[in-house]
Amino acid sequence: MNIAQLFRDYFVKNGIGLGTFLLVAVLFWVVILIILPQLSMLDFSFRHHLPPPEMGGPKDTYTIEHYKYLVLGAPGADTSYNVVDLGVFGRTLLAAFFVTILDLILCYPLAYYLGQSKGGGFIRLLVLLLIIPYWINEILRAFAFRIIFGDSGLINEVMLTMGLISDPIDFIRANVALYAGLGYAYILLMIFPIYNVIESLDRNQIEAARDMGASWWRIHWRVVIPYAKPGISSGCTMVFMLSAGALAAPQILGGPSSLWFTQIIYQWFNTGGNWPRGAAFAVVLLVACIVIVLGMMRLFKVKIGDIGK
Amino acid sequence: MRTNSLLPRLLIGAYLVVFFGYLLGPLIVMSITAFNSPSFPKMTPWECLTFEWFDVLARDERILTGIENSLIVGVGTVILSVIMGLSGALMLTQIWPKLRATYYTIVIAPILIPGVVLGISTLVFWDRISIMLGMSTGGILHNGIFLTILGQSTFIASYCMLVFIARLQRFDTGLTEAALDLGATPVQAFRKILLPFMKPAIGSAAVLAFLASFENYNTTTFTFGKFPTLTIELAQKVRYGINPSISALAFIIIVLTIIGALIHEIYRRRQQLALANGAPVAAVSGGFQLPKIFRGNPAAIILVLLALGGASTIWFSQSYSPGVCKMDVREQKRLIQEERIKEIRAKRQLELQQKQLKSPDSSGDIKSDAPVTQSPGKGAFGNVFDPGNLDKAAPKSETEKPAESPGKGAFGDVFAPKNLDKATPKDD
Repeated sequence: MNIAQLFRDYFVKNGIGLGTFLLVAVLFWVVILIILPQLSMLDFSFRHHLPPPEMGGPKDTYTIEHYKYLVLGAPGADTSYNVVDLGVFGRTLLAAFFVTILDLILCYPLAYYLGQSKGGGFIRLLVLLLIIPYWINEILRAFAFRIIFGDSGLINEVMLTMGLISDPIDFIRANVALYAGLGYAYILLMIFPIYNVIESLDRNQIEAARDMGASWWRIHWRVVIPYAKPGISSGCTMVFMLSAGALAAPQILGGPSSLWFTQIIYQWFNTGGNWPRGAAFAVVLLVACIVIVLGMMRLFKVKIGDIGK
Repeated sequence: MRTNSLLPRLLIGAYLVVFFGYLLGPLIVMSITAFNSPSFPKMTPWECLTFEWFDVLARDERILTGIENSLIVGVGTVILSVIMGLSGALMLTQIWPKLRATYYTIVIAPILIPGVVLGISTLVFWDRISIMLGMSTGGILHNGIFLTILGQSTFIASYCMLVFIARLQRFDTGLTEAALDLGATPVQAFRKILLPFMKPAIGSAAVLAFLASFENYNTTTFTFGKFPTLTIELAQKVRYGINPSISALAFIIIVLTIIGALIHEIYRRRQQLALANGAPVAAVSGGFQLPKIFRGNPAAIILVLLALGGASTIWFSQSYSPGVCKMDVREQKRLIQEERIKEIRAKRQLELQQKQLKSPDSSGDIKSDAPVTQSPGKGAFGNVFDPGNLDKAAPKSETEKPAESPGKGAFGDVFAPKNLDKATPKDD
C-alpha cells in the first residue's frame, strides 16, 4: 500500500472537511507545539548570548560555549571543572532517584492491598482519599510541608514542648522537608500504574504459589513483582522525570545551600538573563532524563507503550 | 487466609494509618492554620479562632486577578487540548501501521518531558518566530496568556488523548460503517455516532485538562509574561513571606475538591445502581430522588454534613468576634515578656554583685573581659561563674548557647557585655 493510496482512503473514510480538520489539528500539535519548539530550543542553546537587535545578524553564529560553561566553568575560574553546576546536576538526579525509590517502597504495599482486595465501600473510600490531595495545588502542598517542617513548624514546636529537643531542628536545611514534599507530590503517579496492573493479576496464581509452600516474600518476588513490572517501571519513570524536573517544591522547600538543577535554569532565564545558557542547561536536563529512562526501560525490558496505561 | 490472623491485620492497619497520615496530615494541618490568629501560619501554639484570613484573602487584588487569569487560561487550554487530544486519538486508529509506534512515542513524550523544558521551548520558539516575522515585543506572540495556553496544551493534550484512547477501545467501528453505508456523510456519522459515544470521555478530559491547567506551575512560570496565574501568584507569596490567608485559600480549595469528589462518587454510584438494575442511565439520573440517595450512601451523608458544617461556620463567624481572645493573648504575651525581663534583671543584679565581689581582689579579671568580643561564651563569664556561687545549670546553658549562635535568644543577647548598656534603658 503506498502513501497516496493511504491518503485517498483516509479522505474517503473521513470526508474532505473532517479529514482535513483532524489532520490540521494533529499536525499543529505534533509539529508546532511538540517538535519545532524542542528543535528551536536545541538550536537556541548553540547561539551566542546577544541583545535582541543583533539576533540574526553577522554575530549570530553557532557556538558550544554554554555547554562548555556547564562542564568547565567560566573561563579563568579557579577550578578546571564547573564544580558547582555539575554538583547540583548530579545531586538533582541522585535525589530524584532517591525520591523514586522512597515512593516505590511506600506505594507498593498499598497498591498490592488495593489491587488484591475485592473492592467495596472501604476500598472506594481509600481511592477517593488518594485522589483528593492530588487535586490540591502543587504550591499549596509544598506550603503545607513548610508549615509542618519550618523552624517554628508543627514538628519542632511539638518536640520542644515535649522536651525532646532543646533547639529547633532545621529540617529545611537538612532537605528532609524537600524529600518529604517531593515524595508526597508524586505518590499518586506511582500508585495507580501499579494498582492497575496488580488488579488484573489472577488471584489463583498467588493461591497456587502459597499451596506449593512459597513464603510471602517469595510470592512477591517470583509472582507479583514480575507481573507488575510494567506498572512499576511506568510509575518509576513518571516519578523520576517529574521530580528531576520539579521546580516549585525545591524553590519553596529547598534549603538555602542546596539548589535543584531546574532552579539554575530558572535563574538563567530570570535574574541571570542569559537565555541561550538556560536553554543549553534545559537541553542537558532533557537528554539526561531521556537517557536514564531509556536505560531503565532497557534494563527492565519494558516498552514505551506501557507508559500511560 | 493470611489476613485473618491478628498480627498481619494489625500491620496492615498501622501501615494504612501511616500512609494516609502522610497523605492527608499536611492538608489538615494547613487547613487548621487558616483559623489560627498568629500572622505566620502555625498550628501550635493555638491562640485564637479567627476568620480574618478569609477577609484578607478576599481583599487581595493580586490573588483575584490571578484567579481571573487562571480561568481564562484554563478555558483556552481545555478547548485546545480536547480538540487536539481527540484528533490525536482518532488519528492513532487510522495512521499508517508502520508509523504508529513513532507517532505514539511523539505524542506521549510531552507527559515525560519536564514541564520546565516545555515552558522554555515554547518561550524560545515563539520569540524566534516573532523576530523572524519582525513583530514588536508587544505582539500576540509575546502575550502571556497566548503562550501559557500553548505551553500547557502541549502536554495536557496528551493526558486528554489517553482518556480518549481508553474510550475508543470500546467503540464498535461497525456502527460508523453502517451509517456510512446507509448514506450518511462522514461528518454526519461523526456527529451523530462517534461524538455521542465520546461524550462522557470528553467531559472527563475537559475536567482533567482544566484542573491540570489550573495547578500548573513549571511550564507557566516561563510563559506567563504580564499575566500571572493563581499558581504563580501563590508561589511568589509562599516564597517571599507568607501569612495564613494562603492557608485560607487552601482550605477553600480543599473543601471544593472534597465536594467535587463526593458529587462524582454519588453520580457514579447511581449510574452503577442503574446499570445493575438494567435500567437506562438517563432514566435514573433524571429525577432527584432524595430518600433513595441517603439509603446506604455515606458519600451523600458526608456531603450534607459538610454543607451543615459550612453553614454553621458562617453563622458562627458572624456572631463570634476574635477581638477579645486576641486581647487576652496579647496580654498574656506581655506578661510573659515582663516575667522574662524580671528574670534577666535579677540575673544581671546577681552578676553585678559577683563582679563587685571579684574585681577588688583580682584586677586581672577586668582585663580578661576584653577578649569576650572575639569569643563570646568562653571568656570572661566563664570566669565570673566559675567560683560556683551560682547553681550549676545556669552557667552551663549560658556558656553553650552563645558559642553556637552569638546574639540569638534573649539571654545570649543580654549577657554579651557589649549589649549590657544597650539593653538597660529598654528594661527601665
